[in-house]
Amino acid sequence: MKRSTTIGVGLVLGAVLTTSACGGGADSAAGGGDGDWVIPSTDPTATIDVVGIVDPVSEGMDEVVAAFEADHPTIDVNYQYVPFDDLNSVLDSRITSKTGDPDLFWVDQPRVPALAARGYLEDLTAQFSPHTGALQEATVAASTYQDKLWSLPISNSTQLLYYNLDLLEAAGVEPPSTDPAERITWQQLKEDAATVQAEGGAANGLLLGQPNRYYQLEPLPVSAGGGVGATGEDNLTPAVDNEGWVESMTYYGSLFEDGVHPRGIPAEQTNATFLAGDTAYMVEGNWMVGKLADSDLNWGAALNPVWEGGEPATPNGSWSVGINPFSQDKEAAAVFLKWLALDGESGYAEHRPYAELPANLAGLEAYLAGPAFTGSEAGQQAAEVIAHETANTSVPRVSTVGYIEFEEILGRAFSDIANGSDPQGALQGAQQELVNAWQQYQ
Amino acid sequence: MSTTTSPPVPGARAVPGPGAAARRRPSFSGPRLQRVLLLVLLTTAAALVALAFMLPTVWMLLGSLRPGSQVISSVSPLGWHTLVPETWTLENYAALFGQLGFGRSMANSLWVALWSVVIGLALSIPAAYVLSVLRFRGREAVFAVLVVGFMIPFEAIAIPLAQVFTEWNLNNTYLGLILPGIGNGLAIFNMRQFFLGVPISLREAALIDGASELRIMTRLYVPLSVTTIINSALLIFLAQWSSYLWPLLVISDQAKQVAPIAIARTFTDTEFNFGQMFGGALLISVVPAVLLLLLQRYFAQSVARSGEK
Amino acid sequence: MTTVTAPDASTARPGRRRARGLGTILVFLAPAVLAILLLRIVPFVGAVRSTLFTREGVGLLAEERFSGLANYVTLFSDELFRETLVRTLVFNLVLNPLQIALAMLVALLLTQRLPARGLWRTAVFIPCTIPLVGSSIAWGVALRPDGPANGILSALGIGPQPFFTSPSQALVSIMVVASWVGIGYWMLFLIAGLNDIGEEFYEAAALDGAGRWRTFWSITLPMMRRPLLFVLVADTVANFVLFVPVQLLTNGGPENSTTLLMFDAYRRTYTYSTPNLGATSTVVLTLIMLLIVAVQFRLLRDRD
Repeated sequence: MKRSTTIGVGLVLGAVLTTSACGGGADSAAGGGDGDWVIPSTDPTATIDVVGIVDPVSEGMDEVVAAFEADHPTIDVNYQYVPFDDLNSVLDSRITSKTGDPDLFWVDQPRVPALAARGYLEDLTAQFSPHTGALQEATVAASTYQDKLWSLPISNSTQLLYYNLDLLEAAGVEPPSTDPAERITWQQLKEDAATVQAEGGAANGLLLGQPNRYYQLEPLPVSAGGGVGATGEDNLTPAVDNEGWVESMTYYGSLFEDGVHPRGIPAEQTNATFLAGDTAYMVEGNWMVGKLADSDLNWGAALNPVWEGGEPATPNGSWSVGINPFSQDKEAAAVFLKWLALDGESGYAEHRPYAELPANLAGLEAYLAGPAFTGSEAGQQAAEVIAHETANTSVPRVSTVGYIEFEEILGRAFSDIANGSDPQGALQGAQQELVNAWQQYQ
Repeated sequence: MSTTTSPPVPGARAVPGPGAAARRRPSFSGPRLQRVLLLVLLTTAAALVALAFMLPTVWMLLGSLRPGSQVISSVSPLGWHTLVPETWTLENYAALFGQLGFGRSMANSLWVALWSVVIGLALSIPAAYVLSVLRFRGREAVFAVLVVGFMIPFEAIAIPLAQVFTEWNLNNTYLGLILPGIGNGLAIFNMRQFFLGVPISLREAALIDGASELRIMTRLYVPLSVTTIINSALLIFLAQWSSYLWPLLVISDQAKQVAPIAIARTFTDTEFNFGQMFGGALLISVVPAVLLLLLQRYFAQSVARSGEK
Repeated sequence: MTTVTAPDASTARPGRRRARGLGTILVFLAPAVLAILLLRIVPFVGAVRSTLFTREGVGLLAEERFSGLANYVTLFSDELFRETLVRTLVFNLVLNPLQIALAMLVALLLTQRLPARGLWRTAVFIPCTIPLVGSSIAWGVALRPDGPANGILSALGIGPQPFFTSPSQALVSIMVVASWVGIGYWMLFLIAGLNDIGEEFYEAAALDGAGRWRTFWSITLPMMRRPLLFVLVADTVANFVLFVPVQLLTNGGPENSTTLLMFDAYRRTYTYSTPNLGATSTVVLTLIMLLIVAVQFRLLRDRD
């Protein structure tokens, strides 16, 4: 009796081990994509699964899907919202189960190389490369890795220097400019911010929209001549401890040390903090324009600061959409992707009520003609800045298969510097950690 | 543990007789004033402890009753309005139940958690019973397996397990959500610890009277262990109620999504609605809190011991 | 189940009784054991197996190759990992006894005959019913350097504290959040145990003239051995696998001061998509837990 229990359990154990071993799959390392498909001229009948980070209701993705289904009645879109932070886990689990679900999914642009190297993305070069002229060049570059197109960009971003006009006026500080010839320097900005704190009663001098994130801070070392953070073939040699990096990060640390920038405010709290009205300046993305337009703050927008004696640099990039190489309905997926990113002003930009900065050129033009940008002087300033920066100063984040580790490790170094660690030591530590983390790609 | 002096009535659901109250009286002797003072002191202490634990919750509650971003704008400087909203609003709750479909998600969560408790208890109670009253070879080994089972961090096995569930076609099913919650080694461990304390003489007497193990378990051990079973039920319930990663991996159909995921919809990479998020988090906490409050009456003074006077 | 007529039981031959016992064991035990085996142990065995493999390339689709203990060597030759290991042990050695002592104190208080006792208990219990994501974010706002917690401290004459922004306070702040959540939870199980101690033991102690303190040490604590073992083991496991507050509030910083083993394992598995190293980190974690729990079982074992 007892022995049969043991045997029974053993049998089940064995059975499940076998199943899970098959599921884990050591069969094929290469992606399932064979590239043998075209964008069809007539719509197939299909249901496609899409995973994205845009909320169906509060961010209007339902309306985008409804508009597509009206244009293409034979294709049903099953859209699933996944929180931004969990996208990676969900993709790891779903794509590697090789069922082809999801057919399409949202891709953080700097992660394109990493996802392509992992075999999660279908190569779209043959099908879509001829059509990318409709898109902003920088976003196409960010969706490309080793000369192949792995996804189509649907949105872009840039940063602006916002200011609280009332506080600046109270302190008698001249607002920063939208004229590229008179772009304010980071050094000047820190001084002015301190003045507004002292004279204008501002609690905070300066806020960065996403403190301690590479996206936000990349312009500092780039403008100071330190580069994007990696060099060499495939950008797999970390370079975050050179002079430009140490100097600019010393400046970053001093913002907190001198009380110009408050400590301990994570990215999700910065917008609300600026909107509360006791912060003089904020460097933040274009998405802030809509929130400011809806607020009763007396605000203005200016060009991003530049490092004293350096070249101006602004971050860019946002989201792309890619196709799962295991998808069973690549042609239907391609129809949706084309509609989303390319058709007209791009379906995504046209039908999403609270759109991001469109990657599509026609979409961008229409976007900057919207009420948030034309309704007020500040809005017009913002439109001017966005048009100039996206076309002239934007620098993509470093394109490397090791981006995920890069972002994570640098984020911690930035955070330590903000909290008072020695910048040089923190950067050298990050450099060493990166060397270790990137060994697997060599 | 303790030995009983007289054989109890087998299977009888013992209740403290009228004598119990009378017997307690000696411990309450002493000057009346001192007693009252002590009671006031202890009640004050209890209220203070409760307040310390409630304060952050109350702050979250009041935060959920103010317009979106005011949670942040009111934190500094500290003042009356850090706690009490200047403008009261139900807009966060309206948004939660409206566009975020929180009602549906809560119902899904409740459905999943309740079934997990029912099935989980049905599996755990007999297992705990056998492990604590019967002696057999391999008992320690089985128990060790259960202990190891609850030590394994679920995050470590979630992705491989999700792929197995995909093969079994359990994606987008309630069963797929319920299954991982039913084998709860911690609940078994908890009940085993209590069952070990039930005097073995009770069971022996019942056996002599010819009761089956099932009968002894359901008529003797379960009634004696109501508090512990409630605790085990809460344990299973809370584990499922707060489960986040697993539903994310196995559910892609919005209509079957659970409440903790709905909370994640209150923030995106650039937007963060603190009022909505606090409101959602508190709504989720209401169900187990109310359950506990309602079940308080079962947290009575020892039933087990009064059966063996 | 076998149905047995009453008089038969006592006269039944021993062999039949044993068979019945075995049948009972099987029927009562198998469902739970199977569920735990299938849904926990077997996938974990798969994870343990994967620690002996490395990937030819990156990501979960890359082919696996047997590599012996290479993953363990990789981890243990990493100084940051060794520091994480020590930090995790210290964290648990400080936090677990503290949490249980406090939970015990609250449980003792709330088992006194007090007015509105159920209400106080519910208030202490509520934090553990709030999803950890929500309460972590709330604590993050409350402990902002310019937040309400510092406002209160300043009003009390204590200067503002850096909390999560300081390498020396961040881990302690995580402990505060974890305890706010955990104490009410463990209190419940201790209350169940306290309620199970018969009134007659206290009466006997009172007759012997024992004070409250002596009663606690000589009656309450020994009688609480079983529930205490449960709470000790369960609390240990809960704190070893805790990572959500770390992930949301400090991301392991400042200066790695809050990087605990489970966070490390989670980050390797989910952020970096290196499942084999992640599994290795988890296996190390589980082994440590097993060791500690084994000691706890030995210390509080039943002596009968």
